[in-house]
Amino acid sequence: MMRFTDETLMAFADGELDAGTRHAVELAMRVDPVLAAKVEQHILLRRDVFRVFARTLDEPVPQRLRQVATSPKVVHLDSVRVAKKPLVAETPRRWSWPEWGALAATLVVGVLAGTMGVFGVQGETTFAAAGSDGTLTARGKLDTALTRQLASAAPAAGAGVTIGVTFVAKDGQYCRTFAIGEAAGLACRSDGQWRIPVLADGAGGAGSAAGAYRQAGSAMPPAVLDAMDARAIGPSLDATAEQAAARRGWSR
Amino acid sequence: MAAALSPYRLPHAMTLPAAALHTDIAALLPRLRRFARALTWNREDADDLVQVAVERALGRAGQWQAGTRLDSWIFRIVKNAWVDEVRARMRRDRVMAPEQAGEHVGDESAEAQQQRMAIQKAMSMLSDDHRVVIGLVLVDGLAYKEAADVLEIPIGTLTSRLARARETLQGLLSDQARTV
Repeated sequence: MMRFTDETLMAFADGELDAGTRHAVELAMRVDPVLAAKVEQHILLRRDVFRVFARTLDEPVPQRLRQVATSPKVVHLDSVRVAKKPLVAETPRRWSWPEWGALAATLVVGVLAGTMGVFGVQGETTFAAAGSDGTLTARGKLDTALTRQLASAAPAAGAGVTIGVTFVAKDGQYCRTFAIGEAAGLACRSDGQWRIPVLADGAGGAGSAAGAYRQAGSAMPPAVLDAMDARAIGPSLDATAEQAAARRGWSR
Repeated sequence: MAAALSPYRLPHAMTLPAAALHTDIAALLPRLRRFARALTWNREDADDLVQVAVERALGRAGQWQAGTRLDSWIFRIVKNAWVDEVRARMRRDRVMAPEQAGEHVGDESAEAQQQRMAIQKAMSMLSDDHRVVIGLVLVDGLAYKEAADVLEIPIGTLTSRLARARETLQGLLSDQARTV
């Protein structure tokens, strides 16, 4: 029987082996329960450690960190008009999520406490609104798409919203990944609304390259994939299950 | 222009690299906070660490080579900031502060909470080298090659260090399970 070092078994659990070695380990696991148990231990440790820290991604980033990162410039109340313009005049690029987030956080926390912030991308109509507690909720065409559009169906022409996958989260909610404009995120059904724990700059955001290894061919940014990993139980829903869930109004 | 080489496909590659860097770093904040939490696993200390690291990164933005991985560069800065600056002024006594240890998170079951605390405790007992490598591979999910790049070590060194770190962590968890 082939022998494998612990490092090899670890690399197997981490998905780091070449196809040949991986296949050899898989064969050995079938006939060697001790070896199979070692591999399982590596997999479980990885999963458990990941889960402990995964929830950090769902927390709102403290404003002090956003301010340090986004700009030395503080957003003032009179820059509400900035919603139509880039913060930094010499960079004529579209707003990405972090900038919106920084602006919204400043406004909500510093100036307009208790009122609602609204979000749009690239001048499109509003697709999400932030409550004063910082939670985002889907609005407009995103809300419509999340409620009606099947992931299995091709998006309607001009709809502008792509639904990725639908799955059941640990807490029993239905969650769906989506892309709208250059943003991508995860929405979970709660109290008759689609709450958005994660919204990221999907098309061009930093880390897109890092996401490629995690799920080949996926356009979802790592933050969304991580949030999905942390929540999902079981495989994503097929077309039939999705339709059934939609008919029940996404309640369980 | 340098930014045109960025692997992150910025919408307008001809913009000022510095401004794009701000945006890209902001997008990395959730991952940086998670990694920092694995190193310090105290929320305040972790955010202090991220703040120090981001300030450092922006202060030496010129050192980042467009075309290389921004996340690798910043994770390296976080790790270095932790080892040579922030760790020294961490409030170690807060590591097992009751409100943190007994913190109940959302709809977490009692069993899940117990497991989380066990893992956090075991992580806190690892050496810095081991905690860093666990943080990069298990917590952030970096591939071996990427983690080795962050640490600027050969992949073989990374692999053996990771194996030892896991063995130690597993041992600590088994010890805890026996004594509970």
